[in-house]
Amino acid sequence: MMSKIVRTQANILYPLILIFGFYIVAHGHLTPGGGFQGGAVIATGVALVAISFGYGKIKKWIKKTNLTAAEAVGLLSFIIAAFTGIGTSFFCNWLANSGLIFGDTVPYGPNPGYLNTAGLLPIMNLAVGIEVLGGLGVVVMYMLSAAKASEVK
Amino acid sequence: MRKALMAASLFVLFAALLYVAVNPSDFGAELGDHLVFGEPKYTDMDSYFIHNGQNQTAANNIVTSIVFDYRGFDTLGEASVLFTAVLGVGVVLRMLRGDENDE
Amino acid sequence: MIFEELIQVLLLVGLIITAYLSIRFKDLLACAVSLGAFSFLLSLEFYMLQAPDVAIAEAGIGAGLTTAIFILAIKATHRWEVET
Repeated sequence: MMSKIVRTQANILYPLILIFGFYIVAHGHLTPGGGFQGGAVIATGVALVAISFGYGKIKKWIKKTNLTAAEAVGLLSFIIAAFTGIGTSFFCNWLANSGLIFGDTVPYGPNPGYLNTAGLLPIMNLAVGIEVLGGLGVVVMYMLSAAKASEVK
Repeated sequence: MRKALMAASLFVLFAALLYVAVNPSDFGAELGDHLVFGEPKYTDMDSYFIHNGQNQTAANNIVTSIVFDYRGFDTLGEASVLFTAVLGVGVVLRMLRGDENDE
Repeated sequence: MIFEELIQVLLLVGLIITAYLSIRFKDLLACAVSLGAFSFLLSLEFYMLQAPDVAIAEAGIGAGLTTAIFILAIKATHRWEVET
């Protein structure tokens, strides 16, 4: 638990950090960034809230089991999304230019960027983002709990 | 003695890096002459990605299309390395848990 | 462009200064904050070298998460460096 100044600015700042992280994950195939960078930014927001409010208060809001489950689900969905193109090869991008979801074509050269393109890449970005969010968040939560446990003694 | 040796080796490393930075040589071009089995003299994967990446993967960001599509196994290895590292942190720090027993 | 080169020289000097300070401080909390400043300057340098992917990753992990984990570890152990 930090001071009131830190808690107030964390309350104001953490929705902006979460929105920025989700923007980086969702626009990974259009702008710089991607799943790993966006997940790291979201985990930074989790660390900001966790450090400024203290572990005793935060462990009701952010469960470690949920973060661990998010990590495992992210890695599994990444591998499953890679396996769906097994008819041609592993990691085959069969959704691109197919007309289905995320299946529009893009013109060659500079263009403003359309969100409904790139096939499997946004799905893999989302999966890796969830995995990195869970992994780095659970590291911070384990460090918080270990710091509190060694503080008691 | 050890400090003098350390300073001398650091100076040699700094001089070598400065020499390379000041006059860049065509190191790869000379190496390319001795490549075997009909390989090209200069590697042309970058121009291939730039010209065909937008048509094949329909993504504007060439870096993402390389990381997740052309070199997908790299990303798979990176994700499993992160998973294993977090698993190790959990195994080490779980025994330090204090008075909480909510899970 | 002389302006970009001037900014790059300033960033590299700041990198050397923060790296030197982080090994000279006796207060470990100041060392952690100095390493955070090092990571922030390094992410700006990556952005100046036109690598925005690495810049975002460095700003998120290096300046955010690593500083938080260092501060938590210092909170659980001692704050001042002791001479052996």
